[in-house]
Amino acid sequence: MAVSARHVGFALGWVALMSGCFTVLPSQGGGQTEFRPPRKIDVADIAVPGGYEVAAVTIGLTYPTAVVFDDAGRTYVLEAGYAYGEVFTQPRLLRLESSGGTTVVATGEKGTGPWTGAAFHEGNFYVTDGGNPGRILRIAKSGRIDVVASGMPSRGDHHTNAPVVGPDGMLYFTQGTITNSGVVGTDNYDFGWLERHPALHDVPCRDIRVTTAIFESDNPLSGEGARAFTAPFMPFGVSAPADHVVRGSVPCSGAVMRVRLEGGKPELVAWGLRNPFSMRFGPDGKLYVSENGFDVRGSRPVFGASDNLWSVDVHGPVRWFGWPDFSGGLPVTGPGFKPPRGPRPAFILAEHPEQPPLPVAQFGVHSSVTGFDFSTSDAFGLKGEAFVALFGDMAPDVGKVIAPVGFRVMRVDLKTGHLEEFMTNKGDKTAPASYLGRAGIERPIDVKFDPRGETLYVLDFGVMPVDGEGPHPYPKTGVLWKVGKKGAASLAHEEVQP
Amino acid sequence: MKRLLLAAALAALVASCSSARRGGPAAPDVEVDTRKELLGRRLFDENCHRCHPGGEAGLAPAINNKPLPAELIRRQIRHGHGAMPGFTVEQMSEKELDALVEYVFTLRRGD
Repeated sequence: MAVSARHVGFALGWVALMSGCFTVLPSQGGGQTEFRPPRKIDVADIAVPGGYEVAAVTIGLTYPTAVVFDDAGRTYVLEAGYAYGEVFTQPRLLRLESSGGTTVVATGEKGTGPWTGAAFHEGNFYVTDGGNPGRILRIAKSGRIDVVASGMPSRGDHHTNAPVVGPDGMLYFTQGTITNSGVVGTDNYDFGWLERHPALHDVPCRDIRVTTAIFESDNPLSGEGARAFTAPFMPFGVSAPADHVVRGSVPCSGAVMRVRLEGGKPELVAWGLRNPFSMRFGPDGKLYVSENGFDVRGSRPVFGASDNLWSVDVHGPVRWFGWPDFSGGLPVTGPGFKPPRGPRPAFILAEHPEQPPLPVAQFGVHSSVTGFDFSTSDAFGLKGEAFVALFGDMAPDVGKVIAPVGFRVMRVDLKTGHLEEFMTNKGDKTAPASYLGRAGIERPIDVKFDPRGETLYVLDFGVMPVDGEGPHPYPKTGVLWKVGKKGAASLAHEEVQP
Repeated sequence: MKRLLLAAALAALVASCSSARRGGPAAPDVEVDTRKELLGRRLFDENCHRCHPGGEAGLAPAINNKPLPAELIRRQIRHGHGAMPGFTVEQMSEKELDALVEYVFTLRRGD
């Protein structure tokens, strides 16, 4: 092969710049854009594989987090009542009417959310409420709300999520961690909750012995110039003696738990998961869990951590999946996890409960893997594969990226862990419509097949730009889309009434 | 010639940091049939995808839009550079590295 000047130039550029790209370039996350309402909707801006088509079902939703179907096949959408950026509205469960419009089935009090996930089982909805404390709610079709379980350590960085009723009749749910990596820091003040809840900290599920690590930071709670010294699994500004033991208890942080449908004390299923956002039982009977990996923020930033899809054997022993010392089965002390401008993370657990397993699939760093479901019908095709929503990066708040990550629906081959794109915006970049100046999808947050398995519903949280001051979510920009084989999906386009 | 090289290096500076979509979901999947191709894809999914999703830019630069020779790609994987860690022979054998480089070539969207 003749070596042209172009090849030489690329080679020189490659060598010189691969070390410099990340350092030199500004962050270019998908939320780092300007937005002027109204949000435009046009399915022609969305790409799906040949033979499939997209329709918009409902627009004008405010911070929607879950789509769910009842026993009559009717469609419901959960609105969280909260969005990152510390914006509180009223949590709502909405029924989409076949005649158009919506009916409010139930509402929560403003400030109690976020309502993060919903499942329907034998006449009732089970909703996870990520407020402080986190709760599991049972909502009747009449709108009556009962509390099934409470006391979950929620309303830190992450919440109580992902209700799903298992084949054993138990209600499974997840609890995200309070912090990014085990240490309360100034990032939590920036998120807004540290000032409201200064005593919050992560709660381990089992007894852990913590290393001598103490993390020094600014102390925004005590004014300018003040310093704080914080130990892992302790409140902000609270240190601890070397090699101290933190007692575990359930409910706890970063875990999958289950509870009887009539309520009671939660039981531990799995732990060591940072932000387990969604769960489904797969065609093989295993419980699959989507997890958001570490961010590059706070007192213990971790670089280059993937988001993951895990499988959990709910019949086996309780397993530990690695948080706060492993990412995707790899120790965070290893190469690749050191932030470019910070120290390599050290372990904070003196002993690890076990060598954590490897994930089924890994997603792009900061892609924010959220809801997923499995194709079970030949009518839709791609039977047995998982379809996973990627909410998209929240750079620069979670760390820097040099191009938008996420903002699409991927499909996963469970046997190999290989990912392929299924639904995304057209164009040269993978990015939200607001970034591209187009009218397609923004931030997919949940996907669910209809009860017959013929149509994939894709719930889009809406427009949420992010800058150095945090996220700026726009209400009434959420959309429910659906995807099906050509000719199988209705193209009805219904608008939510204000 | 010197100017040409400088101009090419400048173009590479921009291109090496940019994003590049492979073709979207409407495009056919990358076909992998042989054992070597499947090995390369698995290694990519386990080690590369999280920073270069599908070969596109993300946390790290795109690798699907650069006409780089195999030897340079091998060197980058083996020794790392900048924020990217290297992979030792113990972590990735020569045979595995061959398979991975070959798979990276299949991700190219066309020069």
